[in-house]
Amino acid sequence: MSSPASPARLVFQTWVALVAIAGLNFGLSYVDVGDARIPIALVLAGANASILLLVFMEVRHGSLSTKLAFAAAAALLSILIGLMIGDVALRGAPPIVPPGFPAPGVADIPSHSE
Amino acid sequence: MSDQERMELPAEQFEDAAQQAHASRFGMFVFLASEVLFFGALFALYATYRIHYPEAFRIGVDHNTKLLGSLNTLVLLTSSAIVTGSVYALRCGRTKASGWLLALAIFLGLVFLAIKFTEYGIHFEEGVYPGGIGHFFEEYGIHGTFGLPEFWTLYYAMTGLHAIHMIIGIVLLGVMVFEVVKGTLAAANAHRLDVVALYWHFVDIVWTFLWPLFYLAGGS
Repeated sequence: MSSPASPARLVFQTWVALVAIAGLNFGLSYVDVGDARIPIALVLAGANASILLLVFMEVRHGSLSTKLAFAAAAALLSILIGLMIGDVALRGAPPIVPPGFPAPGVADIPSHSE
Repeated sequence: MSDQERMELPAEQFEDAAQQAHASRFGMFVFLASEVLFFGALFALYATYRIHYPEAFRIGVDHNTKLLGSLNTLVLLTSSAIVTGSVYALRCGRTKASGWLLALAIFLGLVFLAIKFTEYGIHFEEGVYPGGIGHFFEEYGIHGTFGLPEFWTLYYAMTGLHAIHMIIGIVLLGVMVFEVVKGTLAAANAHRLDVVALYWHFVDIVWTFLWPLFYLAGGS
């Protein structure tokens, strides 16, 4: 793992970037951006998380195995949350049963013993 | 054998100190990957409830203590920078400076918890308890029955679990300070502080996402 030429300066500059992005996120929370509020807030949060991961956690200098360990977690998490949001958002209302066609109850289901 | 020589020796299963440092770091990343999935499930739950009850969640976020939550973000980002400075200082052989920076990071961690518990106190006084218990929920009609209980229960669960991780991080940083004072942590085995710092940064990353979801992303 290689250390930067001027660690103190790197830490300070990174801290300024993190606080600036957080400040932007805070400021935008007072602006009416409609439905874009959550995506904007999460993109800015993702930017800060990436800086923390790459600079402070030194993933940019890390080995391939280290990068893969975190990338696998991020990929699995994306699948989990993506599928869940897709399912919940696109599921829609339950089907409406028209009058005269009651939904089958347990008693109506044919049994193998009959 | 002197303490310095003992610190420079890798454990017997490793060929050299570099291999040991890599294994420590990789092991911590695998652990953190499991933590990503742990918190990820809770974030997925948040997404589900937010889709079901968008208006109630907007009310919940708007009612939250935005200034205190944002102050905590500043505290945590600063503590992460200080912990990184401590790691760099230890690698350069400036053990004493590293110890002082760690002590400062612990102080900021305690400040974070103090602000967090102040927030909880404010919410309790308002009658906001987990599970939709409290007079707060009676004031919001249908939202107080559907949506707001889910929002506040998730708020207490997710920020509470994060606070527990903070406490564990503070204890780990405390152990590092103790080892610096004792003289068993130095540049030769700086990878030990490195993995603790990784944990601390991860806890910071989790808060980076909790903050907008519970404090910022409300109504206009």
